[in-house]
Amino acid sequence: MIHPEMSTQDLDCRALVENTCQAIFARRIHQPKVAIVLGSGLGELAKHVEHAESIDYTDLPCFPHTHASGHAGKLITGYLAGLPVALMQGRSHRYEGFTDTDLALPIHCLHSIGAHTLIVTNAAGGLNTRYRAGELMLIDQHIDPLWTTPHARTTEHRAYTIQSDSKLFGHSVPLHGSSPYDYDLMDRARRVARREDIELHQGTYLSTLGPTYETRSEYRMFRSFGADAVGMSTVPEVVAARQLEMRVLAFSVITNVASTDLPSTTSHEEVMDVGNLAGPRLMKIVCGVLSDLAGQPD
Amino acid sequence: MLELYAKIEEACDFIRRQWAETPRAGIILGTGLGPLVEQIEVQASIEYEDIPNFPKSTATSHRGRLVCGNLCGLPIMAMEGRFHMYEGYPLKQITLPVRVMKALGADLLIVSNAAGGMNPNYGLGDIVVIDDQINLMGDNPLIGINDDRLGPRFPDMSAPYDPDLVNEALAIARRENIIAHKGVFVAVAGPNLETRAEYRFLRAIGADVVGMSTVPEVIVAVHCGMRTVGFSVVTDICFPDALEAANVQKIIATANAAEPRLRALVSGVLTFESKRYFDRK
Repeated sequence: MIHPEMSTQDLDCRALVENTCQAIFARRIHQPKVAIVLGSGLGELAKHVEHAESIDYTDLPCFPHTHASGHAGKLITGYLAGLPVALMQGRSHRYEGFTDTDLALPIHCLHSIGAHTLIVTNAAGGLNTRYRAGELMLIDQHIDPLWTTPHARTTEHRAYTIQSDSKLFGHSVPLHGSSPYDYDLMDRARRVARREDIELHQGTYLSTLGPTYETRSEYRMFRSFGADAVGMSTVPEVVAARQLEMRVLAFSVITNVASTDLPSTTSHEEVMDVGNLAGPRLMKIVCGVLSDLAGQPD
Repeated sequence: MLELYAKIEEACDFIRRQWAETPRAGIILGTGLGPLVEQIEVQASIEYEDIPNFPKSTATSHRGRLVCGNLCGLPIMAMEGRFHMYEGYPLKQITLPVRVMKALGADLLIVSNAAGGMNPNYGLGDIVVIDDQINLMGDNPLIGINDDRLGPRFPDMSAPYDPDLVNEALAIARRENIIAHKGVFVAVAGPNLETRAEYRFLRAIGADVVGMSTVPEVIVAVHCGMRTVGFSVVTDICFPDALEAANVQKIIATANAAEPRLRALVSGVLTFESKRYFDRK
């Protein structure tokens, strides 16, 4: 298990990933085709997995030690809508002191055991004034303002850095096309949402380092950047998945809409509550996309 | 962040041994604003390097000592000289003094800094009462495992500066005939000053003044539940289309010249606080 404050100087990431894959296969699970990362308050989705096998992150060497409340820290494998999936219930964040490499390792592992598609969900603050709390947003693009955690650790050097080539320009060099998010999967998600009569926005997600919520001036700034929602996660996982050429689909649950001109406070509890309320609708869309994919040849 | 608690205790123990009072407010003095300590009835003056876990102040015109005593009838502690990200210190360490102030009993933080003015309505030497802030340092002092004894995991930042005190500071400025504005402060890591293109960018995202400090301290003050009031002194004018090369000596001279006005505002806020404090008693 990766801990944000441990010394990682001599960590061999490749060996960590391999050991984790072996630990997972030792449990004789079905090879997952889709990996799903569950964000704040959305852990409930895990209850709908059939033939579920659950492995604690503590037993998985390259998985993170999770601290954020609302994140349980379990890998759940099984079937959702007829498709073999692996769910990361509980994720880690940059604000906990993890580097982007730490956040990429579980994605590398899930890719190694067979996942070719990544679905990411998160709870995000709405910047677009047309959004309402509890609505869903399909992530169409993201902005990562190059936040890193330069002083998060005393030991920064690793034996092997997965993202060494992306260090040059911070992030994301999409392999082809103009978006890290898969247009075909987005189409499918929109179709499911229409069919199920669920309001699904499409917008740009901006990742901040956190853990502070934004000041009013920061909200205004992010709006002027063109962002529709702001959160503290997702981008590192998405970038890792794109480097592995996985197809990516991502959703935000809008937990509150920033009011820059009328100060209002944000609390983690509120974020969690709205996340839980939106969970069933998000579940419907994710399952709709999965059953759509289940009918497709690989 | 789990190691912080013990470090704070250690620093507090050391300070308590030199000064037994309970501070009501902590003051951080920025570039060229150190002379304010002359007004304090000093009871203890402690060098940073003697205090356990305090970093050493290396920045120009930052003296590097903690002055404890009375100011405007309130026991306070003032940092003459602060720490900056550009000195290479982790933000957790830079902000440790704020946590120490809180742990010793202070529930008000007064921060000051020398900043570049980008709002065209600001003049050289004007004082800006900070209304809101933007963190562009690319780092946050709360990164790591949260210690719930120190504050919440996700602090709300909808009003990092106490609105009552912002209004009070502006009222004091009017009474004392001091030019003061209300503005948004943006913090960058530094240590280089901004390019013209960066000034345009910072202005476009809604900032009025830019500096290399204050934001980490204020984030930590919010995290540990302190009220904050912040002052920037406009020490250079940063209009991208008429930009003069920055001159550190001139910046410090401007800060020194503005210092009496800043002193009047800080004293005014403390007097207001001390009145409130003794009324409550």
